[in-house]
Amino acid sequence: MTDWNAMSDAEFRKEVRAFFETEYPEELRNLSHRPKFAEIAHWHRKLHAKGWVAPAWPTEYGGMGLNAAKLLIFYEEQQRWGVNRGRDMGVQMVGPLIIKFGTQKQKDYWLPRILSCEHIWCQGYSEPGAGSDLANLRTRADIDGDDFVINGQKIWTTMAHDATHIFMLVRTDPNAPKKQQGISFVLAPMDQPGIEVRTITTLSGETEFCEVFFDDARTPRENLVGELNKGWTMAKALLSFERIFIGAPNLAQNALGQLESFARGRGAFDDPVFRDRFAQAALDVEDHAALYARFADQLKRGETLGADVSMLKIWVTECFQRITELMIEAAGPDGGTIGPLQVGNVGVDVLSSFYKARPTTIYGGSNEIQRNILSKAVLGLPG
Amino acid sequence: MTTTDMDTSDQNDLRLLRESVRTLFERAGGSGRARKLRDAGGGWDPEMVRELAGAGVFGVAVPEDLGGLGMGLGAGGVIAEEAGRVLAPEPVNLTIGLSLGLLRRLCPEHPRLAELIEGETVLAVAWQERGANGGPGEATCGYADGRLDGRKAWVAGAAGAQGFLVVANGESGPVLALAEAGADGLAIENRRQADGSALGELSFAKTPAEQLAAGPQVGDALAEAVSDTTALVAAELVGLSGRALEITLDYIRTREQFDKPIGAFQVLQHRAVDLHVMCEVAQAGVRDALARMEGTTDARLRARQASRAKARAVTAAKRITREAIQMHGAVGYTDEYEVGLYLNRALVLSAWLGDDAWHRRLWLEAREEEGAAQ
Repeated sequence: MTDWNAMSDAEFRKEVRAFFETEYPEELRNLSHRPKFAEIAHWHRKLHAKGWVAPAWPTEYGGMGLNAAKLLIFYEEQQRWGVNRGRDMGVQMVGPLIIKFGTQKQKDYWLPRILSCEHIWCQGYSEPGAGSDLANLRTRADIDGDDFVINGQKIWTTMAHDATHIFMLVRTDPNAPKKQQGISFVLAPMDQPGIEVRTITTLSGETEFCEVFFDDARTPRENLVGELNKGWTMAKALLSFERIFIGAPNLAQNALGQLESFARGRGAFDDPVFRDRFAQAALDVEDHAALYARFADQLKRGETLGADVSMLKIWVTECFQRITELMIEAAGPDGGTIGPLQVGNVGVDVLSSFYKARPTTIYGGSNEIQRNILSKAVLGLPG
Repeated sequence: MTTTDMDTSDQNDLRLLRESVRTLFERAGGSGRARKLRDAGGGWDPEMVRELAGAGVFGVAVPEDLGGLGMGLGAGGVIAEEAGRVLAPEPVNLTIGLSLGLLRRLCPEHPRLAELIEGETVLAVAWQERGANGGPGEATCGYADGRLDGRKAWVAGAAGAQGFLVVANGESGPVLALAEAGADGLAIENRRQADGSALGELSFAKTPAEQLAAGPQVGDALAEAVSDTTALVAAELVGLSGRALEITLDYIRTREQFDKPIGAFQVLQHRAVDLHVMCEVAQAGVRDALARMEGTTDARLRARQASRAKARAVTAAKRITREAIQMHGAVGYTDEYEVGLYLNRALVLSAWLGDDAWHRRLWLEAREEEGAAQ
């Protein structure tokens, strides 16, 4: 088995790049929507055969065992070539949790099925009354013999309508003194009479988010991961790497490229006001990349990232939004038109970019929540 | 040695440089020293200039074979950041970027080069001129038969300099000439700036001056030196912004109203976070720009990175120092309070060598020229 970490960064990057460039299906590059599994199954099979489905997992569980530096390179190359992340909730979220907190039996059963995508996972965290205040969740799992009986509702469950399983945070002790206590992490099959999924149509007309209703749904007690009532701390422990990923420059960089070609085609660069705003946006992206590199270097030196990494997400998502707003401005009277606008030989879908940018300041901990975190953990402000 | 080892050892050198310069400034009295000098009529402390020279500050970017430290522009940025933190009025960037920037490129053998490195002399650089409307205009100041005639404007450090490096029109192209501060026919009008420093308006009437260099290389060297200095001033603004924010955070952590520290109010917390993020982005962007300038000899790329740095640093410094006043409330508006000194210095450094809007314009034009050239 290849020890990727022993390679130089440059060698490793070359190898990853070559694989994506030769093997990734052209028609799947830079997908603007989240695909159902069937649409990308042929790519997943290649990735699986190569052993590259789970770059961050230890090799003993079928992962690539990459360290943080190599992992970052892997993702950079993935983004560079417009490689779709695939249905990676299992690999990114539930797998690492099972590896860290699961029993041997759970590992043996679930992990190979995550890698093969025999199981497709969705994440049941948010609820109508538990968004930013996630610990306020109310969906209950009550013990009944060998089963948990689940009642309640999850929302913003990405791609639940194309998932075979759900991992979720549920309340198992409604009487716990603090609301963060009494929460457990359980796995459940989606295909059962007690679960109903409804898609939510978003502002952009997509249906990737769902509501999931639980009405006496059941899952065996052995599908509890970790200790009962310790789910909150476990779920939080996973977020550290995600936070640099969510602050990566690529979304804003791609949008900036799109803005530039569109605005040039439309003659917007003749307008000094537009020029200044474009320059601001472009410099916002460039300087963010410099800050991102500083955090990436920290990871490469083997250091753990602190709470200050949240600033990447705040800056880049708000910058992404400004760029897409400039696209709409540059579109002039076409600014409300659905679908691609022709500029020369290319079509630029300004509305779709605009919509895509909106939820970035909401998901993954809203930017207001990120500011709360920075205020307390980094600036040491009181209260 | 691998690249990583070299990076690490460079970073270690920079860390040591930062520590020693910071200690030197702090021992001398931090930002309190800037206030004293301002109240004494402006200008800098010649003793401090010698101490800085003793630490190798002025020669930091001068190659070792010319008597400098040969550490490059990034190290200059470290020094500039530290000077910014304590509002040091000494001619740090003026010397590292402009006067030594010109001499080391155009006449490295000239004895003044060593004197500048040793802090024995300070030379101000005069190259801009006012047009009819009072803004920057065409250069008309002439140099012929060893004498200067004409006017120069916006000369930083004019009040304390021992001499002037003047870029003038010679008989066949640009000339760099050295005029002594007390030379015949030289009149200096110092225009006081918000921070107590001064910008000089010079007029020459048959003023004797020594020709140091002539020809197109003068224009090239000037452009390079101005790029370097622009980026160094950006670094100075980064240091200034960081310290202004620290002072402000300390204030809102302790100042109580409505029976709690005002920093417990979310509206101030979120604004403080935005300032912090802006400061970190500015620091990362400016350091990256300096590193990229060090990594290329292409004058256009260097100019573009300098504009990137100044545009970012000015935007950040303006916002941070103004918000700093607001968060301090009424005491922030008093001359007595430290934070106001940061606002005043930010105003001066923002205007000098071009503000953010100006540099965004230059940056975009340079980017387009590069795009067209490719």
